[in-house]
Amino acid sequence: MKQILVIDDAATVRLYHRNILESAGYSVDEAINGIEALEKALVKPYDLYVVDVNMPKLDGYGFLNEFRRQEDAVQSPAIMVSTEMGENDKVLGYAAGANLYLTKPLKPTELLSYTRLLLGEVA
Amino acid sequence: MPIIKKQVPKIQCTNHDDRINNRDFTGLVEELYSEDSTARRWAVRDLAEMPDVSSVLVDRLVVENNAGVRTAILNALAHLGDDVAIAGLVHCLRSEEAALRNEAIGVLKESPNEVEPIISTLLTDSDSDVRIFAVNILESLRHKNVEQWLLNVIEKDSHLNVCATAVDLLSEVGSERSIPALKQLKIRFEDEPYICFSVDLALKRIEEGSH
Repeated sequence: MKQILVIDDAATVRLYHRNILESAGYSVDEAINGIEALEKALVKPYDLYVVDVNMPKLDGYGFLNEFRRQEDAVQSPAIMVSTEMGENDKVLGYAAGANLYLTKPLKPTELLSYTRLLLGEVA
Repeated sequence: MPIIKKQVPKIQCTNHDDRINNRDFTGLVEELYSEDSTARRWAVRDLAEMPDVSSVLVDRLVVENNAGVRTAILNALAHLGDDVAIAGLVHCLRSEEAALRNEAIGVLKESPNEVEPIISTLLTDSDSDVRIFAVNILESLRHKNVEQWLLNVIEKDSHLNVCATAVDLLSEVGSERSIPALKQLKIRFEDEPYICFSVDLALKRIEEGSH
């Protein structure tokens, strides 16, 4: 079963993404900010990260910047999800190491399609 | 025999009183632009005890790269709490830099008295991102009007994500008086799965909390 880490400071968003992903058969863990995400990601290799941008303590850019620097970590794909839809926000997301930058809120079909795509499950 | 003067190592002055005694406004502003981040942090701390310093701190904040100094400036501005200081903090909400935005939100969350007079303006700002950050500020503001401010948002704001952020918070702080507005919002955004999900969750939590 593929393992996904959902990183968002909003509990409702985490639950929403968890429900969608678990209903499709994925196993989901959660982190409430970039620091907690780093702690989890460095001890357990996930297959995919769903990362919010604006979070206290360490934001999504900071998490990805730091995580991508970890040579020993399995560098799985990351979907950055944000309410901000400016070009600059996307550029920053991709520069930090995101594989996709999507705008909130995601529709269930949208999240699942991109998840399958990044996990290589699309025929 | 020549006298050899022993080289005495220079002792860096760390005594708080000594630091203050030789530091006037002009000197501290110069120090605010020192290459040494520790000196800049001390300058912020000492300036914060002087009158009419908010504008120089705001000027430094927008170019400061060191996280520690930046936090010191943000805290000093919250402590000063005058119009210029609060305007400087609000300006950070428009920053392209996520870390600065989040730091400013964190400081504003801790300043309920200073934020109260401006929160309605922030919640109706023309920039939807600023409105979202304003809702984030309400999260831990601990003010008696928080629920009413959130109700105003979900009743009047047309932006999906602003309403979604307000619903998230209402699920934590909302009471039975929020129920009609939440149900109305779900009708307004009936094609948006996230709004329907978050409204249902908020209604469930409010109803559970009322029993």
